[in-house]
Amino acid sequence: MPREQTLRVAAIAIAIVGIGVATYITIADSGGGAPACLAGGHGCATVAKSQYSHVAGVNVAVFGIVGYVLLAIAAATPGDAGRFGGLVLSLVGFGFSAYLTYLELFVIDAICQWCVASAGLMTLLLIVNATRALGYAGAELTARPATPPSADQV
Amino acid sequence: MASRREQKELLRAERLARESGEQVKERRRRLVQYGSAAAFLAICAVAVLIIISQSGGGSAGSGTQDSAVIQKQLQGIPQHGTVLGDPKAKVSVIEFGDLQCPACQQFSTDTAPGLISGPVSDGDVNYEFRQYLIIGPDSKTAAEAALAAGEQNRYWNYIELFYRNQGVENSGYVTDDFLESVAKGAGVPDIEKWNKDRHDPKWDKVLAKVQTEAQTLGFSSTPSFLVEGPGGKNTASGVLSLSEIESLIKSVE
Repeated sequence: MPREQTLRVAAIAIAIVGIGVATYITIADSGGGAPACLAGGHGCATVAKSQYSHVAGVNVAVFGIVGYVLLAIAAATPGDAGRFGGLVLSLVGFGFSAYLTYLELFVIDAICQWCVASAGLMTLLLIVNATRALGYAGAELTARPATPPSADQV
Repeated sequence: MASRREQKELLRAERLARESGEQVKERRRRLVQYGSAAAFLAICAVAVLIIISQSGGGSAGSGTQDSAVIQKQLQGIPQHGTVLGDPKAKVSVIEFGDLQCPACQQFSTDTAPGLISGPVSDGDVNYEFRQYLIIGPDSKTAAEAALAAGEQNRYWNYIELFYRNQGVENSGYVTDDFLESVAKGAGVPDIEKWNKDRHDPKWDKVLAKVQTEAQTLGFSSTPSFLVEGPGGKNTASGVLSLSEIESLIKSVE
């Protein structure tokens, strides 16, 4: 089992990369264009222009930025609040990414490499945050030094 | 007999073991409680996001919405069955599309108007739409309705208007009422004949031929394009821009 500190640092690093990816998609969309697909594919433009690229009028990448920022904050937060906050956010991010990937594959019929990258980062974050929550839930309880025995206890 | 010191140590060890057991229990309790709450919250949040995503702009139009826009777009351009423009034009752009496909709708609204008002209207290119059914059973129902409109030279009005009123795929919006509204909006002169024609079993053969053609060309998604001209053939897939379509046309001229 990796040390909790290592997991927290890894989660922050992944979240920072995610903020970069989501910010790029948002900037590309706000200029009226679409993210550039590597190798000249059309998938990114097709996905960006589909009706599913926005939720309630807001680009899904904006939700991504907010999600990654919250995940970084959760990773920086010690204790069970950070552990389970990170787990909830990771589950939401992973679930919504899975839904978006389903839409790309079976509804829009196009794959955006940037969206796949983000879905991959969300999957990594779920693994890291689940490991942290399952492995270290309530760790402070056992880490607390044993109180020295008082005379009446013995 | 154990000394007083040994007794103390024994009692201390028992107490620590008891405390340790309680701590493990408490950790397990937290894990189960917080973990369940996390999973529940996550499921609710994802469900809400999906519902909002599905409801945003996904509903079908009235069937006649934008009929004036389509009428203006196609005005004065000849139609022969599934072909728009001069059938003898030196280059043919053949789109393999599905009326339920959102990417095809994107092409229809973003690129097709420029293609139609440019090279198709000029007579240099003709534009054909073939029904490549990949989304679901409603795609066939919609395709037959469009082909029946073609019997009265309103095929292109029908498909362009269908895209302007398209709903979420396989959501059940392709009803008889919706199809008839599109037919009326597309200006199909004889609705009774159109209704009879769209149930003609001859479309099965027509549509099967298109599916075979598309598969032979290696198309696995819609929209896909076959561009034919004196210089040969070229193919492409995806929501192409007007400049990309024009490059394909030049490559076969």
